[in-house]
Amino acid sequence: MSQAAPDAASLPQDGQEHRLHPLSWLFVLVAQLKQFILPLIVLLFAGRGDRHDLWGLLAVGALVLASLAEYFTYRYLLRSDGIRIRSGWLHRSLREIPFARIHNVNLHQSLLHRLFGVAEVRLESAGGVKPEAQMRVLRLDQALALEALVRRRGTPGAGAAGIDAEAAPPLLTLSTGELVRLGLISNRGMLVVAAAFGALAQAGNDIFATVVERWGKLLFGRVSAFMGAHAHDSALGLGLAAISLVVAALVLVRLLSVLLAILQFHGFTLREDDGRLSVERGLLARSRSSARRRRIQAWSLREGVLHRWFRRRSLRVDTAAGQRGAQEHHTLKDIAPIATPRRCDELIGHFLPAAGWGALDWQPVHRGAWLRIAIPGLLFALLATGALWWNFGGIGLLGLLLVPLQLWRAHRIAGACGYADNGKLVAWRSGWLAKTWNFAECDKVQALRLSQSPLDRRLGMASLLLDTAGASPFGAPLHLHHLPLAAAQALSARLGAQLARRRLQW
Amino acid sequence: MTSTEFDAAQASAPAAQPPTVETWHAPPARAVRLHAGFLAAIFGVCGLGAMIGPLLAMDDHRATRIGVAFALLLLGPSLGGWIGARLRHQRWKLDAEGLWLRTGRLWWRETRVPASRVQHVDLKHGPLERRFRLATLVVHTAAVHLSGITVRGLDEGDAQRLRDALARQLDDAGDAL
Repeated sequence: MSQAAPDAASLPQDGQEHRLHPLSWLFVLVAQLKQFILPLIVLLFAGRGDRHDLWGLLAVGALVLASLAEYFTYRYLLRSDGIRIRSGWLHRSLREIPFARIHNVNLHQSLLHRLFGVAEVRLESAGGVKPEAQMRVLRLDQALALEALVRRRGTPGAGAAGIDAEAAPPLLTLSTGELVRLGLISNRGMLVVAAAFGALAQAGNDIFATVVERWGKLLFGRVSAFMGAHAHDSALGLGLAAISLVVAALVLVRLLSVLLAILQFHGFTLREDDGRLSVERGLLARSRSSARRRRIQAWSLREGVLHRWFRRRSLRVDTAAGQRGAQEHHTLKDIAPIATPRRCDELIGHFLPAAGWGALDWQPVHRGAWLRIAIPGLLFALLATGALWWNFGGIGLLGLLLVPLQLWRAHRIAGACGYADNGKLVAWRSGWLAKTWNFAECDKVQALRLSQSPLDRRLGMASLLLDTAGASPFGAPLHLHHLPLAAAQALSARLGAQLARRRLQW
Repeated sequence: MTSTEFDAAQASAPAAQPPTVETWHAPPARAVRLHAGFLAAIFGVCGLGAMIGPLLAMDDHRATRIGVAFALLLLGPSLGGWIGARLRHQRWKLDAEGLWLRTGRLWWRETRVPASRVQHVDLKHGPLERRFRLATLVVHTAAVHLSGITVRGLDEGDAQRLRDALARQLDDAGDAL
């Protein structure tokens, strides 16, 4: 995607309105078909052999018309400080987007896009579910020029900046070996398999059961050939078959994960040029997303068990352009999908040079935190033991063995948690088996909440939620649990005072 | 604090200073009563609505039916009233740093929105609230979980002043296009 240096002349900046690429309607149609693919498939297959096929054709025809209408009504006008987009036929809309308000620029090229030498451009501002502008599609050189224009905030004169950018060495690239590790660690294949299971279950035919049965028969045949007759009856044969099935499934899922990782992250490059980060990736479908460094709202460094085995970590960021759902994977998220712990620290140090990430003074949580963590699990263990004892008598009391296990686990978790605050950066680390470090620059915190449950009050602790923009709606990354009450109050007061003094810098 | 005290404090403040009164404000008693009564009614209606079918379907056990119905009529509204009356623990404060809001007693929470992080402010008056000269103020931030901080049961005058003060700080920040 980055072969050609962006040529500002390819973009029509003559004060006139322009249409998108003449083939735009095709890509709009493909995008719409993707949304309607399930109903269409149902129409095609459910109504097999009768006249209902016609309805499917009619639906596609209507979509073609809609796509053509979108192409003929969508116009854009480039100005010195922003872009104006006029669209719609019955429901018309006019949108002014100042370059200064754009947080993310995404260029996306699927295989079809690459075939026709075009690209899809998304301009995202802070907040909102949909991108501010979705230009489907522009000629590739125009798309690159538009990206460069947004980067320079609309001053077309400084053409040299783009060329410099290409010359700057990438901050991180991933070799195929790293991609294989990423696939093994991330286990993306599991999602696909789960989705496939769901689809098969919906299909109603017993495809899945049939597959398992065939597989079992095949394996049983092999096993009995190996062990001789009567293998069908022996527990060993059964166990071997079952275990081999599970192992084969696990290996297949991991292989799928590796394949997916290579598809998504092949040719991963992280670059930075004049304060702008850009990430480029993809084997068949290429995409490039970029955002200014100071637009990053929060950071998250993860290390799971598998990460630890491979001595790797992964680094993600939140930008304020909070795209959700299907578009989420296009926004700038994975700064380093996989990298050595040292490289991750270097990257953080590079992007936050003054924040002192390497020299944070980590504070432990409240001394009694382990008790607070253990109590829900303890209650469950005691209830379960009670139920077992009631049903099975004395042997049920073995459930009490869960109690020391739970206490030990809670101790480890409490020991792993910690918080740090040095006036520039506020950080929270958590997790014992899978560790996470979440941190944000203090100025990026938008609101604070100190909370105490009755149990917290009894133990003299409190939780502090530091909310940032663009965080995931599921679970807050900077939720500092089980802090000593005085420390939580002091941190809350200090941050509140600091935030009130500083203006919000997006 | 009553609204007259608030006015007195306003008047005594120098004109150049932003109108911040750095004390905790409790909701007026009528706001708590309204909130508790409203939730009690809602819970009562919902509880009866959910149980009316099963109650009618039971053919015999006339005494049990009446007992259950009475228990519902008693329990639903009292639960609603208890939840609604939690509003009496709410305290708010506006100072130079921004808006503070404390809610709850057992599950205690203190939310703080720095004035520089307020995106916009909504003032809402429902029909019942209008009748009792009350208002609800929603302070919006760019955060994800604390995106809308709701201050319920404000006296109308207090709500106006609070909104104006927050809006003035917004203007001073001047992040507009």
